[in-house]
Amino acid sequence: MRHARSHVIVGVVGATVLLLLAFVLQATAKDTGLIFVSNEKTNNLTVIDPKTWKIVKDIKTSRRPRDMHFNADHSRLYVACGDDDVIDIVDMGRLEVTAKLATGPSPETFAMDEARRRIYVANEEGSSLSIIDMDQNIIVREVPTGGEPEGVLVSQDGKTVYVTSEVGDIVHRIDAEAGIVDEDVVVGTRPRRFAATPDGRQLWVSAELSGDVFIIDRHKFEVVGRVEFLPPGMRKSDVTPVGLAMTRDGRTAYVTLGHAAHVAVVDVASRKVLAYVLVGKRAWGVTLSRDEKRVFVANGFGDDITVIDAASRRAIISIAVGRVPWGIAIDD
Amino acid sequence: MEARALHPPLKGEGRSALSEAKCDPGWGVAESATPPRLASLHSRCFASAFIEKMTAAEGRLCPPPSAEGEEQAASAARAFAPFILLALSLFASPASAQQPPPRQTLTIGYVEIAEDPRYAPIRGADRIVLKTRAHPYAGAEVSIDDAAALRRVLPVDFALARISVKSTAEVAPAVLQAIEKRDIHFFLIDAPAPAFAPLAAAVRGRDALMFNISAPEDSLRRDVCAAEIVHTFPSLAMSMDALVQVLVARNWRDVIVLEGPLPADAASAAAFARSAKKFGARVVAHQRFKAGTDPREREQNNPTLLTALNRDYDAVFVADEAFDFARTLPYRTQRPRPVVGSIDLEPVAWHWTWEHNGAPQVQARFAARSGGRHMESADWAAWIAVKMIVQAGLRTRSTGFRAQRDFVLSGAFDGDKGLAVSVRAWDHQLRQAMLLASPYAVVATAPVENALHRTNELDTLGDDAPESPCRLDR
Repeated sequence: MRHARSHVIVGVVGATVLLLLAFVLQATAKDTGLIFVSNEKTNNLTVIDPKTWKIVKDIKTSRRPRDMHFNADHSRLYVACGDDDVIDIVDMGRLEVTAKLATGPSPETFAMDEARRRIYVANEEGSSLSIIDMDQNIIVREVPTGGEPEGVLVSQDGKTVYVTSEVGDIVHRIDAEAGIVDEDVVVGTRPRRFAATPDGRQLWVSAELSGDVFIIDRHKFEVVGRVEFLPPGMRKSDVTPVGLAMTRDGRTAYVTLGHAAHVAVVDVASRKVLAYVLVGKRAWGVTLSRDEKRVFVANGFGDDITVIDAASRRAIISIAVGRVPWGIAIDD
Repeated sequence: MEARALHPPLKGEGRSALSEAKCDPGWGVAESATPPRLASLHSRCFASAFIEKMTAAEGRLCPPPSAEGEEQAASAARAFAPFILLALSLFASPASAQQPPPRQTLTIGYVEIAEDPRYAPIRGADRIVLKTRAHPYAGAEVSIDDAAALRRVLPVDFALARISVKSTAEVAPAVLQAIEKRDIHFFLIDAPAPAFAPLAAAVRGRDALMFNISAPEDSLRRDVCAAEIVHTFPSLAMSMDALVQVLVARNWRDVIVLEGPLPADAASAAAFARSAKKFGARVVAHQRFKAGTDPREREQNNPTLLTALNRDYDAVFVADEAFDFARTLPYRTQRPRPVVGSIDLEPVAWHWTWEHNGAPQVQARFAARSGGRHMESADWAAWIAVKMIVQAGLRTRSTGFRAQRDFVLSGAFDGDKGLAVSVRAWDHQLRQAMLLASPYAVVATAPVENALHRTNELDTLGDDAPESPCRLDR
């Protein structure tokens, strides 16, 4: 009896310590400002300190890590790993992969809807969108898409998912609940990624091979505009836009131009290019810091990332990372 | 009559939407923890598997199906159609409940020579198969599969009609018959060079467009020079220009040319010499070889003797379509120099190891279609040809042949190898990047970085407008 009670006490104390420890770890993980870079060919995330620009950690992942997203409280970082058909989950307290979710073949980009506990993953080689239940860790539905689906965006109300098909030159509009494509719109050649204006009216889509960004009216679901790019000294054929990021006020968009080695700064209202910022080779992934003072760009063929000062629109530093960096996530 | 009559209501839904991969929900799905929806996933997998079978049946039916087989498959389709429609209706979208626009089928002819010796396996001694080769039909099929995703935005279904004839002489009559009797206007021509002059004469002035997907001969671009023919397969001149550009970029300018006994070998050697002159490489010796072991002919069959010069050289170019001699050449040269041309470093339109521009996904879809084959140049030429036709339908929004043809001839297309590909106005050769491939890697691409051109760098490969005797643009 006495023996049993001591066990209980030890158990309670132990649990409390563990909880405290978990709390402390979680607390230290918040707002670290750490920069996470996924490297497709070295199967790791490079973690960079935002103050010193030094690499502070190397996180091993499954093969070919690409798109990354934090959950709402930033306790976990989800990483799509294309060659192992999984999403790795990085515990932000421990900075290591602690769990995996199965996806379809070759997951590339994904979107999370935490309110509905859903993850939407584009499976590049399976030509489908996997809808994953975050709690049960299972695929609840596979939505057939056009060839090589890539960009995924969930509407704010969680009811609609948009997916690009690189082969089909189309954007699918998918009913998230029913899991079916209800309409398509034709855009430029090899559509890649999305950005949504905060008013919910427009969807911006980068088209890599036609070298432009298409603007879709979400209500009418049709193309209403197009932004073209040509950085000084570059040929039109080098302009291969992929990454898109938009400021929270919906006024400025950043578009990475791939082989043209520049980032375009675009005024959203007038759809005019305000500036071109020189970065590295094959610029793809682009991410803004929370204060939107810094723009981070992954240079796929330069094995580095470039940090841009948003106010002066100039690159301030490039940092060597792993091989073929794909995207960047910031814990801020 | 054709396979397309078998399944108009099923096309697209089945192929685009459903593939075997999707039938496997993956290891994340546990039966016990499955919400009710998974049941529908399974039932769709059933539909998928079934449609795959139908597609296979279609494949067997063409070319010219026996009346009996056709009947069977057609009746099978009729018998099972309600089940498939039922299965598909489980996933039907609200949009599809509205009245759909009338759908059309655009059938593309695929004309090939049965027993075409170009696709016979290349064997070594003792029946060892060195290379298996296959008609590039699967390349065309992949593009048809890719187009199925467009069915909601384009009221057109695309289909292939595989037409197999016995000889090159029968190509032109078969095409004429398909134009007149089957209302087919676009054709992929998988035939050797001699088929093209009669074909060009037969279709001259007609509403028809042929795609040459496997013949490299420059004479087809320069002399046959037909407005009704587009060459998506690279010309020999383009291939040799690409190879020489890369050699010169590395400053490997002095080259021995070894030429085999076949007419194609002579053509390759001549094209190489021409390219060398164009880009500033030097042919330091030009030898004719003869495969064999006869000691009296050792000056012609011994790789070491053939490459023993009093002067140095940077590389050895070998033109050997038979491949018998070329495969023994690397590591047997008198000096330790790389071999290029028919082996080791080959200029190709496509290579299965190309890993940029979405190429691995194309290769994966091709492998799934072809039973695991590596995608090669002719497969790519067939794939892009169908893609151009599909894009013409998508971008012109027209079902008229002339509008579609004009778009094929004037548009730019994503060939999954960098710079957009497009048709040269003067000789209808598709301008495209070339890959310089070793057996397991793409070593370089052409045009090389410093190859400059006033309008399009791709026109540094092959016959540019001023060099071409063919002026379809005038």
